[in-house]
Amino acid sequence: MSRHSLWLATFLYVTFIPLLYGQSAVLPPGPLQSKVKTACLECHDATIIVQQRLGKAAWTKEVDKMIKWGALVEPGDRDALIEYLSTNFPADKEPYKASRTMAKSDQK
Amino acid sequence: MKRMISRRELVFRSPLALAGMVLARPLLSLGADSDFAIPGKDGMIVRSLRFLDLEMPAEYANSFITPVKHFFVRNHMHEPSALDPHEWRLTVSGEVERSLTLTLAELTKMEQHTVINTLECAGNGRAFALPHVPGVQWEKGAIGTARFSGPRLRDVLQRAGVKATGRHVMFRGLDEVPGKVPPFIRSIPMEKASDGETLVALRMNDSPLTKHHGLPARALVPGWIGAASCKWLSEIKVLDKEFEGNFMSPGYRLPNSAVKAGEAVKVEDTHPATALNVKSMITSPRDGASVKSRIVIRGVAWAGEADITKVEASTDAGKTWQAAQLGKEQSQYAWRVWSYSWSAAKPGPYVISCRASDSKGRIQPDSVEWNPSGYLINVIDRVQINVQA
Repeated sequence: MSRHSLWLATFLYVTFIPLLYGQSAVLPPGPLQSKVKTACLECHDATIIVQQRLGKAAWTKEVDKMIKWGALVEPGDRDALIEYLSTNFPADKEPYKASRTMAKSDQK
Repeated sequence: MKRMISRRELVFRSPLALAGMVLARPLLSLGADSDFAIPGKDGMIVRSLRFLDLEMPAEYANSFITPVKHFFVRNHMHEPSALDPHEWRLTVSGEVERSLTLTLAELTKMEQHTVINTLECAGNGRAFALPHVPGVQWEKGAIGTARFSGPRLRDVLQRAGVKATGRHVMFRGLDEVPGKVPPFIRSIPMEKASDGETLVALRMNDSPLTKHHGLPARALVPGWIGAASCKWLSEIKVLDKEFEGNFMSPGYRLPNSAVKAGEAVKVEDTHPATALNVKSMITSPRDGASVKSRIVIRGVAWAGEADITKVEASTDAGKTWQAAQLGKEQSQYAWRVWSYSWSAAKPGPYVISCRASDSKGRIQPDSVEWNPSGYLINVIDRVQINVQA
């Protein structure tokens, strides 16, 4: 592969990969939404967050694990982040309805 | 070598083609309801896009062999962004007489063995745990059965000459690790590694492994949880003890004894999850379906390293059970297809269920046997249907 095509491929990939991930679930609005994006969505998309149904203690454990694994959370934001997640995705919320990839019958 | 390279591999090897697919498919599908396409996959439930985790809808589990397009995908991390099967190497080291570096061509020249294996994610059914536990909220379809082939791991280990000190075999894949996440490395005991059935799998359903399933090689540990079968395998290391790392402990462990739902369990009171549980599911009719009064209820049943001895169906919410018919196709580590013909006495709503028993004397429980990670949940499957007047 030529250097030119490699650069073009890289450009296309970097530019349009968000389109694919744009199919991901959407985080609810709130003052912490942008911080969740920074802390969590660097490594994974929002779908894995919005399908969780956890109490505050479980969310605390998850957030602390993710901080240990490299999530960028300012110390002053930790508690608010846990509050945002446990308020929006509590244990008693109705189950998340997952989307499906296109089926062959849809692609005809 | 070139004969083994599929179109999909070609795409994987060409960043331009890859970018083209990534670019084109979502754009083409933006107008299609909430659905969108993932090349090589068909009608799958999206549990996560990045990392890619796709679940097979239960109704697709309607055959002995699951097509790759319907086979579930479980990734803990990013798939390798660049991997050329011609440049790829597999190293074998540790407690061995001779360290090896093997090419795909060398592995292909070794005696190839085929195992039909039902592969199930340890977390399949986690969504049914109450209280809920964190993790991918798999429902029924983090499972599939495929024909895997490649050299026996035993033969690869024999080439290297395992020392008497070799007790466990570690697998490392080429998953790309984000942040400070621990790498996905696990080990299996030597007894399982050298049983002649555990493979360095190169092919799945008679084609080279696809990217999502571990191209060009993956471990295939028959009858065990999917996490044992490391994808994009790059390193095999013989160890004198079990590997110590996040995905061996605290990850992928089960309580030594039953625990109350919601109860914390100390890691010293746990053991590694290995072989699969006895389990079955209904694949037809679908949950919520409206059906005629005479139907055939269908499904699959599996038991890891054990054999399915019986599948029973109930059409009265589990009050009474009748034996289902097991399909003829069977293989040591594969699920059994089953069916049960039923005529409803009258129209109305029904809860139909299935439960499997195995050669170890295990039977599926009525309720979830809860554990803190939601592993190996095998509660009786139930679907609600309506029989038309």
